[in-house]
Amino acid sequence: MGKLSKLFMVLSVLSFAVPAFAQGGAESGVNWVAIAAGFSMAFASGICALAQGKATASAAESLARNPAARPGIQLALILGLALIESLALYTLVIIFAKVK
Amino acid sequence: MPDSAQPEVDPAQAAAAEHFYSGALHRIRSLMAVLAPILVAAAWWKFGLRPAVGFASGCAIAYVNFHWLKRVITGFVDRATGAAASQSGQGIIFRFLLRYVLMAVGAYVILTVSPASLNGLLAGLFLPVAAIACEAVYELYAAVVRGV
Repeated sequence: MGKLSKLFMVLSVLSFAVPAFAQGGAESGVNWVAIAAGFSMAFASGICALAQGKATASAAESLARNPAARPGIQLALILGLALIESLALYTLVIIFAKVK
Repeated sequence: MPDSAQPEVDPAQAAAAEHFYSGALHRIRSLMAVLAPILVAAAWWKFGLRPAVGFASGCAIAYVNFHWLKRVITGFVDRATGAAASQSGQGIIFRFLLRYVLMAVGAYVILTVSPASLNGLLAGLFLPVAAIACEAVYELYAAVVRGV
């Protein structure tokens, strides 16, 4: 419940921030695309790091419980980490495509 | 659920399946080695030399990155299972971080030398994803047709 209330609090703050973005106008000179790209990369990197940490922790826990299952866990961990890394790369590609 | 309701697993079939799935990493690396020249040739034909060079560089970085990731995970699993020949924890972490440094250096060099090949480089970094997708399709085929 605490997490939900924090989530709604953050969402409400973001909602209030939306009109503030519109007040600058086209002449403000601020490159919002670059700022948004930086935030996007930061979010993607942070969430991918969390996902990699969770995957690694789960694999370590599974290996400690059942070392005989090593080949399957190792394969799943390698593929999982490779795919999680590729998610951050997707964001990087989108940023390079949008920010010139 | 009682034990009698569980389906019987044929030991020979289970061993065949384990043997098949244990070769997945080797197949993925082979697929990367096969896909890279084909895709580089296609990029050269479609986009020209510079994007193709960038794509080849991206493929090389992705291949080395995947290989090092496998080595790092093997070292990590060795330590987690208490294997005798386990690597040091500092070495594992150093190699894990060194991958990112080398990728960044490679990308910076290519960006400095030829910015036109940057798109090719970024596309080449997705070579493992293409190889994993091909492996997934192959495993699906093996599961459906061969019943592995």
